[in-house]
Amino acid sequence: MDPVTLGSDQNFSGIGNDFPALLRRRGLLAPVPAQTAPVANPAWIPTQATTILAFKFQGGVLVAGDRRATSGNTVVYDRADKVLEIDRHSIMAIAGVPATAWEMARVLEHSFQFFRRTQLQEMSVDGKVRALSKLLRDNFGFVLQGVGVVVPIFATYDAGADPSARLYFYDAMGAQFEVTDYAATGSGSPAVRGILYYENTWGKKPLAKLNQEEAVTVALRALDTAAESDTATGGVDRNAKIFPVIKIVSRDGITTLPEKRIAALFKRSVA
Amino acid sequence: MIEEPYRWVEAIANRGEYIETQLATGSPIAAVGYRDGILFLTLGRNRQKLFEIYDRIGLGAIGHPGDIERLRMAAIELASAEGFTRSAADVSLRRLAHYSLSPVLKTAFEQVYGAPYLARLLFAEIGAKQEADLFLRLEYDGAIATNQAGVAQARQDFGAISGTRQSTELMEAYLRAEHSAGSTFERALKVALDAWTVGHLALGDGGIKELPARDKMVAERKERLRAAGIEAAILERDGKIAIRYRALTEDEIHSALGD
Repeated sequence: MDPVTLGSDQNFSGIGNDFPALLRRRGLLAPVPAQTAPVANPAWIPTQATTILAFKFQGGVLVAGDRRATSGNTVVYDRADKVLEIDRHSIMAIAGVPATAWEMARVLEHSFQFFRRTQLQEMSVDGKVRALSKLLRDNFGFVLQGVGVVVPIFATYDAGADPSARLYFYDAMGAQFEVTDYAATGSGSPAVRGILYYENTWGKKPLAKLNQEEAVTVALRALDTAAESDTATGGVDRNAKIFPVIKIVSRDGITTLPEKRIAALFKRSVA
Repeated sequence: MIEEPYRWVEAIANRGEYIETQLATGSPIAAVGYRDGILFLTLGRNRQKLFEIYDRIGLGAIGHPGDIERLRMAAIELASAEGFTRSAADVSLRRLAHYSLSPVLKTAFEQVYGAPYLARLLFAEIGAKQEADLFLRLEYDGAIATNQAGVAQARQDFGAISGTRQSTELMEAYLRAEHSAGSTFERALKVALDAWTVGHLALGDGGIKELPARDKMVAERKERLRAAGIEAAILERDGKIAIRYRALTEDEIHSALGD
């Protein structure tokens, strides 16, 4: 820990207390890159993580992600965790470059805590959504250079005046889109969106009415379908018994489904 | 004025006296370690006095709100930056206090043309086991006192601060006699509340010099509780959760006190 001069950068606006700003002041976070021209053929292919989905169901929001990370045609890792807990009620799921995404998740997690500790109140859901948007916007210089693209989904529970589960997806520039039913991003997302749209519109019941078991089944089927045509999506590895990560956000916080339960449901209604 | 060493010493002594006068009315804060965690307790009228610094570190502070705020903010910034770059396990109260805060306080106190910090801080850090709990008192001049065993004291499972030295010492005497490390939460809450009462009775010129009789304490406690609410927070020992600090609600406090 560095020696400090106390309160040197206090200002009434509170902007000096933004956590990313604190990190930049201390040289712990890369400065926002200057806008650069897009690079046509980057010489180096970054690692990518793919295909995440989220939808609202009876018990809150279900967020699921496959486990594969790729770099071009190469499978880099088959046990990547793309569904990250940010605080007791928030999940960020990532598609894109894990190095950038995990760093963003770390900054975000610490930002929310830092805000609560310094300001003595929880950050509002809108504030949290905006914080992620800002990180994506700051990162856009790297996106243009062909490295560091991240397209996240953010799911949280708003305990405010109108308690409800909230779900957002983002584009690489930081625009946030709140969705009522479902969201999917990553290379396998066209197939996933097709399935979620179909289930929601013509399935036995809309996604919002599904119970936990039915919701998990839909998520597993969607990821398996995405993996069928998209090489970058891991889906379910039947030989190595690698299953997607599935977490649920509700009023009571975040539940991570045990692998055993996912395996059992997979065996019963997907395989 | 400060070219002459004697004048400098005199100036420092005056300044110490001035700060002590400013702090003298500060409401006591007790922190006690029990089986499942550490409990902070004080009685407050309007201002929050207990704060979360990091996952395993809590703070209770008396003094000028502006100075407390600057020190609190510095502690949070340091801990957060460390926790972000390395890990939460690398954030340590010992380093925070000894390496970062104490030198700053000492410098501010001894530079007689600048303003000193009008604050007295009580930190606690929860350990994996009770033997690893750390209670640390940080004074306006950078002096540090902890609960660790030393030449003059055995290891203690509590910490206390108050407006005056006499009040702090009496609280510590009470806790040494009445508090046991293996207490339940309910028992710890009662002992901390009594320690606060002892500290409060010892404040001021007419304050008590020895531990009061039981009935006097009960009467005083009743009287004070009529005017002010209890502010309490805990650091939980449960290793499964990352953030151990939690402010207690009024309901939790009253149901634990049995009223």
